[in-house]
Amino acid sequence: MRGEIVLSDTLIDKYVQVKVVAKDFEEAILKATKPLLDDGAVEQTYIDKIIDIYRNTGPYIVITEHVALPHAPSEFGANKLAIGLTILNEAVMSGHNTNDPVKFLFSLSSPDQNQHLESLSALVQLLAQSDFLEELETANSVEEVLNIVKAYEKG
Amino acid sequence: MKKALVACRAGMGSSLMLKIKVQEVINENNWDLELEHSSLDGVTGFSGDLIITLSDVASELEARNLPQAIVGINNIVDKKEIKDKLEPVVVK
Repeated sequence: MRGEIVLSDTLIDKYVQVKVVAKDFEEAILKATKPLLDDGAVEQTYIDKIIDIYRNTGPYIVITEHVALPHAPSEFGANKLAIGLTILNEAVMSGHNTNDPVKFLFSLSSPDQNQHLESLSALVQLLAQSDFLEELETANSVEEVLNIVKAYEKG
Repeated sequence: MKKALVACRAGMGSSLMLKIKVQEVINENNWDLELEHSSLDGVTGFSGDLIITLSDVASELEARNLPQAIVGINNIVDKKEIKDKLEPVVVK
């Protein structure tokens, strides 16, 4: 990882939220993408598209156990590269056949196909470390979340 | 050399992450398999041997009666699942 782009370059504090309350998966998506909307990283149309894809085709954004990656095609209003992390207070069901319930939502926005490659690559390596999520679950503040991410990036 | 397309609905999030893990499995097993990635729009023009995607997208693609084998992955960081599902298709 050293010398490469790491997740913490993209995952900035204003996109991180802990102990978020959501009654279902749709509300979790809305709350997880809100910081990106507030910052102008995405348009409302981008979030609408994520919800639309979920309603019409199912929870394909739930990519591994307990983790969703809310995102949509760039042309629906992805203005700049952004990755957020929202940790729910109580996990919610998405309807996925093996990865429910969902507790961690990594919201993603990328205006082109390549800009986010290295950040995504960093994220997938973190998710592959079995105790990374267990550690994140114990975080009580945004600062703790960012510290855990940085610690795991160092390996 | 066989060719596989890693596809997801948007072509920019899940498929890229899945491609990273599939490439690791290919390297570890020395498989002769080349990867591309795209959104579902890219599936129509793809002439290779295999389509790798997420499980709920796989069931949708199976309904299209495509010429390629389709492999659906549940957990994109589970290299054992990826290896177990790809091996029968790649090594034959």
